[in-house]
Amino acid sequence: MKRFYFEEESIQPEEFHVPIYKRASAQDVISIGFGLCVLSYLIVFYIISITNIFIKNPMEINVGAMFQSASFDHLFGTDFLGRDIFSRIVKGTEAFFLPGLLSITISTAIGMLFGVLSGFYPRFASRIISYILDIIDSVPRFIFILIIIVLFSPSIYLIMTFVGITSIPKIAAYVKAKVEVLKQHGFIESSRALGLSPMTIIFKHIVWLSSKSVLIIHATLGMGEVILIETSLSYLGIGVQEPKPSWGNMVAMGADYFFQGRVWLSTIPAITITVTIMGLYLLGDGLNSIYNEKVTR
Amino acid sequence: MVTALKLVLKEVVYTLMLIVGVTALLFMFFNLMPGDFPGKGGGLPAYLNLLKRLFTFQFGVSVVSGVDINSILFPAFRNTLVLTLGAICISLIIAVPIGIFSAYRSFKGYSWPLTIFSYIVSSIPVFYLGYLILFFVSRQTGFLPIFYPESSAGKHRLLSYVLPILVLGVGNDAISEIVRLISSELGRVMSTDYVIASKARGESLLASSVNEGIAIPLVSIVFSKVPFLIGGAVIIEFVFNWPGMGRLAFQSTLDRDLPVLIVIAFLSVLMVRAGMILKEILLYIFNPGEG
Repeated sequence: MKRFYFEEESIQPEEFHVPIYKRASAQDVISIGFGLCVLSYLIVFYIISITNIFIKNPMEINVGAMFQSASFDHLFGTDFLGRDIFSRIVKGTEAFFLPGLLSITISTAIGMLFGVLSGFYPRFASRIISYILDIIDSVPRFIFILIIIVLFSPSIYLIMTFVGITSIPKIAAYVKAKVEVLKQHGFIESSRALGLSPMTIIFKHIVWLSSKSVLIIHATLGMGEVILIETSLSYLGIGVQEPKPSWGNMVAMGADYFFQGRVWLSTIPAITITVTIMGLYLLGDGLNSIYNEKVTR
Repeated sequence: MVTALKLVLKEVVYTLMLIVGVTALLFMFFNLMPGDFPGKGGGLPAYLNLLKRLFTFQFGVSVVSGVDINSILFPAFRNTLVLTLGAICISLIIAVPIGIFSAYRSFKGYSWPLTIFSYIVSSIPVFYLGYLILFFVSRQTGFLPIFYPESSAGKHRLLSYVLPILVLGVGNDAISEIVRLISSELGRVMSTDYVIASKARGESLLASSVNEGIAIPLVSIVFSKVPFLIGGAVIIEFVFNWPGMGRLAFQSTLDRDLPVLIVIAFLSVLMVRAGMILKEILLYIFNPGEG
């Protein structure tokens, strides 16, 4: 199967008309399929957890039924306080779903804006924007989050806002590179000659018609990163606090019993985290290889 | 040579500018922080004083414990440096062969399990991987020590370095990224004309594409992973009780000890930018044309 790369000489008009299903290899199809499965169970879990149907109360303590193994009543067993692990995992999606969407929205919107600006106006905007982005980029994200937690409150929405801010530089760099390539194409020049306003050219022809795929890929990969950060912070005890379930603090609580041989308490949430993040990464990379955007995480 | 020197000088000046920017941002945050705090306020002279203290490496005392920050920070910084560099080496040792293996087109079917392995490994949360390996290696077999012995000297000292470095090297998400980058870049370079020509001359396919296909992508990705490694080090140091900068940062977060955190942020910016300068130099060595 022939692969297409966005290089100067390989861009010919007819290559854009190769339909997506013909560009995909078997690996891409498997990756994207797996990723879509993960995405759909995330959405289903979130809907279940906000409507509270089908699951038990995840905070209900039942000391008589500690450490039960899997059964029909408790799908994944119970934890050290007799709480149902399956309901806690379902409810744990609430900890990162909306904050994660917030973070992705912030990073893609502002990153796209900065990227387009610095790609389109290399004289004025590019220097300042790249300085600001390098400042954000050179502080390690985790240290930045710790400082934010000290300065303000450890609210997950605030933390995720700053996670979104710290992923702006990456997206801006890709959009900028994309815009610089696109600027040399004939259609931008001709739309300028037709008298379209810069806003129309930027938002319709560059952002919507040409860089949609970059943004979608970044949104998927960004969701994986958000889950990783949320679970890490909750594991450390500075994200979502204990009575509220989160996959991270479930691992942390189960870890107390890990060395006693009760491995499943922290293994079940850990497997959930692994499968979810892997699905999102595979989805992003599969889309990436179909669209040949060469986005790195 | 002159070009290289100019390049390094430019990067150093830019690094100084960035450090001024980062510390100004942190100082601004510090003054925006709700509540009263020792050392708060003071405007521009206070900021210049902070800069002077940072650049002369006289960091002052911690507001919570009252100890000199220098005496606790530098051993911690050394430990974190060992951890981070070791983790990078481990990641490279695992990821590069998988990437090369999957770059050979004919092996694509066989390399799929390896690629999946690299994905699984890089999406396991680091903290869980730490427990898992501790459980199997230390508790079941007793082969390696569980905790980092702070004071004990002798033979166990080096052994206790092994597990944290291994876990951080395997568990950060660099592996799948390196694999993907190398396999796509090497695959692309291997089908270019000059590599095919050198293959026709009887030279090895891998040796003639190693520079453009492996060295340049590796250099450009590894150093951009340093911030993520420092973030992973916070968790690993918490799991393994490793007396490094990350654990210090976490401890000062719990204590709300902002001066220590500002110094840690300063040192990590230094680490990140040192990586960037090294990256520019290496890229110049591997690819002198595009200086």
